[in-house]
Amino acid sequence: MSAPTSLENLVDTLRVRGVIAADAPPSPEESVHRPWFVAMMLGLAGWFAGIFLLAFIGLTFELRSGVAIFVIGIALLASAWALYYTDRQAVFLDQLALALSIAGQCAVAWYFLGDVESGLIVSATLLVLQLIVLFVMPNKTARTLAALFATIAWVYLVRFVVRGGEFDDMFDDFGRYNRHAGSGSVLIAWLLTWVPMLFAAGWLTQRENTWMAHDLRVFARPILTGLLLGLSLGGLASEPFVKLAFGMDSVGVQMSWLALFPLLSIALAMFSAWCAFQLRSHGLLGFAVFAALMHLSRFYYLYGTSLMWKSVIMLCLGALMLGVGVVIRKRLSYGGSAA
Amino acid sequence: MRGYTPPPMQPKPSRAELDQIAEHYELGSEGVDTMLELAEARPDAETTRDFLAGMLRIGGILSLAAGVVFFVAANWSDIEVFGRFGLLEILLVACGVLALVKPPPAFAGRAALFLAFVTTGALLALFGQTYQTGADIHELFLSWALLGLPITILAGWSVSSAAWLLVLNLALALFCGWHPTGGLLWAMLGWRRFDPTTIIIGVTWINVVLWFVFEFVKLEAVPEWVRRIGISSAFAFGTWAGVLAVVDKGESPLILPALVAAMAVVLAYALRTRKDIYPIAVVLGAFIIVSLVWLGKVTRFKDEGVLLLLAVWLIGTSTIAGRILAHTARRWRAAGAA
Repeated sequence: MSAPTSLENLVDTLRVRGVIAADAPPSPEESVHRPWFVAMMLGLAGWFAGIFLLAFIGLTFELRSGVAIFVIGIALLASAWALYYTDRQAVFLDQLALALSIAGQCAVAWYFLGDVESGLIVSATLLVLQLIVLFVMPNKTARTLAALFATIAWVYLVRFVVRGGEFDDMFDDFGRYNRHAGSGSVLIAWLLTWVPMLFAAGWLTQRENTWMAHDLRVFARPILTGLLLGLSLGGLASEPFVKLAFGMDSVGVQMSWLALFPLLSIALAMFSAWCAFQLRSHGLLGFAVFAALMHLSRFYYLYGTSLMWKSVIMLCLGALMLGVGVVIRKRLSYGGSAA
Repeated sequence: MRGYTPPPMQPKPSRAELDQIAEHYELGSEGVDTMLELAEARPDAETTRDFLAGMLRIGGILSLAAGVVFFVAANWSDIEVFGRFGLLEILLVACGVLALVKPPPAFAGRAALFLAFVTTGALLALFGQTYQTGADIHELFLSWALLGLPITILAGWSVSSAAWLLVLNLALALFCGWHPTGGLLWAMLGWRRFDPTTIIIGVTWINVVLWFVFEFVKLEAVPEWVRRIGISSAFAFGTWAGVLAVVDKGESPLILPALVAAMAVVLAYALRTRKDIYPIAVVLGAFIIVSLVWLGKVTRFKDEGVLLLLAVWLIGTSTIAGRILAHTARRWRAAGAA
């Protein structure tokens, strides 16, 4: 049976099947469909607009008092919530609301974290802030962004709980790594970070039919999207050190066998690709593949393990994957011809 | 053409729409199951295994290719120069033989030719590494793209086409950005009329022309997602040239008109064919960025009010762009369903 070719056809077919009552109202007229690249463009634009807005407010009102910054932040967040709430079925004010929301989040974070140096407190505060936004803002884009940032904050939270560190280490902690090299803590942090995330993403993907039938769908969909984006990209922040180490930046950097960690990040991205396929999301699938290739480039540049060893690893992994893939395909063909 | 990717404006319901129906009709989990099945929104076991096989096979080939590149980069001193070249050449010949025995579209043939394409680049890198030819890195990538083109055509595979397009654009990006003067290409192009911005807008047009060629020829090896990489590359360079022109680094007055012309032809084609809104989104994205920089330039950041203006401009232009795109997508999908 071929798939119904439109929303109306789908609803009609559901009516015929008795899933929808015969006298039920017609399908929603205004479709909420928004391709992934449009959502991405709007999200990025809203994010940058929020930064401009906050800079404008900060410079115009010469905010020096922490309380004033906090009040402004809460006011911006409340305005964003009000705009989202009153404009729930349209998109016109969404962008303004997103910009206000981003500016408000930055202001509130600034109030709480302006003088804080502890990486643990910074990541925990940001995680709480993002979770509040996730559950309070009545908008899918805002929730998806919050879920992504919450995932990233979680990665850092576990990192700082297990391994300690300061705010500056969030972006480049290689110096710290050199002082506190310890593979055990890195492995524990990685497992603590990703096992719950993998389980959550897998469960949400497999149980889609369950939560779609529940009001929780308004949270579950953005959480799943944010999780998959975080799984694709976030491996970077859970590796032994946070350092992009591309090109000349990596010269002279010695990282021992822990330089192999990007392979785990590739595995996370491929799991994300698998979930994206289950959800038929080309956007998430493409992002996962892009992230996997980025992790592969990083793997090349992370010295410590020789390129010869890396070459052997890639050749063996390649042969293994190719072999398994060929076997699965042959079994499929055999099953198809037998049928 | 056999296997040509159908336009992505297939009016199948998206996840957001399925959520909308589930909410509107208050479907239970069995109702949602039926809806997902009818909409073909969840892959069945066979499709899932097919995807798994595809992911593993392509991942395996990419890993093997990475292994070859890493091997060359390792510059292993235990093998003499002759041996290193010999190994790569044997691999190249083996790939060629395999492609002859199992020619494309068989997977083995396609994969062998993909590996041959990567090995060609590795051989060029090894040549440069061994003999210190003094060639710039963009020349390596450009030579790779040119020598690899016949192999890519023979492979007739989307993965090879995407890799070739990326190598070509990497070469052009390195040429435009990393090395503004010097080298063979600049000896040909680096005279008075060809300042860097002109070259960058030229690269934009190279990508636009390539995109049009692929749109008209409709090759199986260049499906929609590869063409999207092409048009994205075009307007990544276009945005770069536009921003440089706006901040007065471009010497030629033709940069912005050339960019506008590229935008216009792509928009006109996309609107006429009504297949895909992605090119429209890329053009609008480029417009938003270049116009934002232009606004910052003309206001000269005289005071903090400019920041508000930029925020409002971003919100306004992105909102309008989003509405245009969402409306166009819905209209085309509805027309496709009719």
